[in-house]
Amino acid sequence: MYIFKNALKCIGRSKGRNALIGVIVFIIALSACLGLSIRQAAESSREETLKNLKITANISFDRSSMMSSMRDENKGSFDRDKFSENMEKMSGLTLDEYEKYSKAETVEDFYYTITTSVNGSDNFSSVTTESEDESSSASNTKMPQMSNGDLGGKGMGGFGKGGIGGGMQGDFTITGYSGENAMKSFIDGTAAIKEGEVFAEGDENYDCIIPSELAEFNSISVGDSVKIANPNNEEELYTLKVVGIYTDSSANESGMGFMGMTANDPANQIYLSFNALEKIIAASEKNATTETDEDTGRQSSTKLNGQLNASYVFADIEGYEQFQEDVKAMGLDDNYTVSSNDVEAFENSLVPLDTLSKLAGYFLLVILIIGAVILVVLNIFNVRERKYEIGVLTAMGMKKGKVALQFITEIFVVTIAAVIIGAGLGAVGSVPVTNALLENQVAHASDQTDKIEQGFGRLPDGEGASQMQAPPENHGGFKPFENLMGINNENAYVTEIGSATNFTVLLQMLGIGVLLTLISGTVSMLFIMRYEPLKILANRD
Amino acid sequence: MSVLKLNDICFSYGKTEVLKNISFEFEAGKTYCISGRSGSGKTTLLSVLSGLAKPTSGEIFYGEKSVKKIDRYRFRSKYIGVIFQSYNLITKFTALENVVLSMEIAGVRGVKKKQKAMELLKSVGLDESEAKRRVLQLSGGQQQRVAIARALSYNPDIILADEPTGNLDGETEQAIMSIFKDLAQSGKCVILVSHSPTVAKMCDVNYELKKQNN
Repeated sequence: MYIFKNALKCIGRSKGRNALIGVIVFIIALSACLGLSIRQAAESSREETLKNLKITANISFDRSSMMSSMRDENKGSFDRDKFSENMEKMSGLTLDEYEKYSKAETVEDFYYTITTSVNGSDNFSSVTTESEDESSSASNTKMPQMSNGDLGGKGMGGFGKGGIGGGMQGDFTITGYSGENAMKSFIDGTAAIKEGEVFAEGDENYDCIIPSELAEFNSISVGDSVKIANPNNEEELYTLKVVGIYTDSSANESGMGFMGMTANDPANQIYLSFNALEKIIAASEKNATTETDEDTGRQSSTKLNGQLNASYVFADIEGYEQFQEDVKAMGLDDNYTVSSNDVEAFENSLVPLDTLSKLAGYFLLVILIIGAVILVVLNIFNVRERKYEIGVLTAMGMKKGKVALQFITEIFVVTIAAVIIGAGLGAVGSVPVTNALLENQVAHASDQTDKIEQGFGRLPDGEGASQMQAPPENHGGFKPFENLMGINNENAYVTEIGSATNFTVLLQMLGIGVLLTLISGTVSMLFIMRYEPLKILANRD
Repeated sequence: MSVLKLNDICFSYGKTEVLKNISFEFEAGKTYCISGRSGSGKTTLLSVLSGLAKPTSGEIFYGEKSVKKIDRYRFRSKYIGVIFQSYNLITKFTALENVVLSMEIAGVRGVKKKQKAMELLKSVGLDESEAKRRVLQLSGGQQQRVAIARALSYNPDIILADEPTGNLDGETEQAIMSIFKDLAQSGKCVILVSHSPTVAKMCDVNYELKKQNN
């Protein structure tokens, strides 16, 4: 007890020296608290977001895995013919297969869509900002021959049951939904029915809803019928009944369809039930004719190609990860992969915070090393300066260990007091400081993305960038060109944190205080143990 | 019966022999003066007696027990009170705190330490205000008294003093010496290291050290 009392007396009577040590420890503690808080904020943000993150995933063809396995087979060389052959062999999963995997334990919700491209007719044309001539040249683009699942990107299920496909890109994108849960934009409020109502779930009638812009463009009201044509065969017409007109706020943000393709313009999106569209595709398949290219030997069909996409919803990341294992156990081929845009978007959103967290980690390490060195040096001076006192205390019969303990107690008290003040101020300042630093990081990350976009000839934010966006309403997670082109047009970064310093940080701060005390205290102890009272006192005499 | 006994004590700094075959006996209730010329090893002998230095050879007995068998920190803090020539007080502490600290190191229990320390300081001639001053604010004589009070604080059997009157004027010397005489009368063994003939004359027993020819 007297050691503690003595230590306190000594602290009080050497104010200058202890204030200096205190200020240094305070600076270390403040910096460490900020560093730890940033790291904690990143961790908490990750955990919190993950906890509340509903994940939607898709099963898609894993082209990169196939390419790498082919490289392995061919010892590094790449056989293009074999690749094409393999690609053609790969058929997209069927609805039955998708449904089979939806039985996995962790799947909370399951829905699917089918998408195809159609043309308008004489009294029903697509909305386009281009002139007629340009429009006609822009539309009806002959799409490259693609086999099932050839697009292969995330969120795409590949083509449906049809075998070989290929054909023309039409003016409209027409999507069939399995149910209301698949119509995400209507759920999240991006789209809303303006007039009429949504077609009934499972409806086999050709009831559809169209965007208000398209309705106005063609002077269509609810109850009117419109004719759509197979772009591969203009004589193949289907009559749809407009049962509803919807508004889509995302349409205002994008001036033109993706890469000038009118079919991808949100104003040219027609929605109907899955069953209805499946019926149209089936009818088209029935009427289809097949031609064989003499040069390549490849077949092309006039049928409408439906692109089937299924989405699985999970309550959390664990459910998603479990699903990845479950589907393999349920027999999913190795050439298919389970992926989620949500997980990627989530990881991307944390990039600036993670970068900041990493920098904070390095900063913390440097601060601790420099701080520890300064403290050690100060303590060496302290012990040398108090050599005589050590000699007197040991000559009086105080054991060296107790003298060392007194010195360590002094350091500990000063350090902990400074750590408490530093941690207190750090806790108060951590949120604004972290947010300010995070703002810089986000700005930096956005600048980088903009530069990349500009490098590829795209304009940043809002102007040309919107042109690059995939159609905002591709329900069921299918965004035909987004992933194919590697465009990440949503830089939804975490830009703000609510709290940073918590109990864990405070414990870590205490740990830092103890660590600094131990490091500097050990030095004091080594010096004290070396000293012999007789020599000290004799020299003094 | 002797409280402290030296048997053929030798001590050398490297090859320089300072003490050679010293055999002294010290009894309770007496004052001893160890005198000798400069360099004769008086302070070295005091260091050996106080346990600050270990003899090269020979043995010291505290009562019947060899000092080797007693922890030297315990020996210094409990059985022997040392008054250094330069006082060796903790300068950042007050006179009172120095005395209290000494009692705490010795593990004195069952007494009100501050009160006892104050009584001791008063008994060696310091008043309350002087007792509460930091030692650097006290004169040499007053510091010497603090050192004596400190040496007495844990009631040791033996008091060792190195040149206790060396820095003092004649009047203070007399006062200090009378304190030592009183201590001896109260049953303590008082060993003074001094080259002062006055001190030697006032002591009961005189031992003279002779300078070794190396």
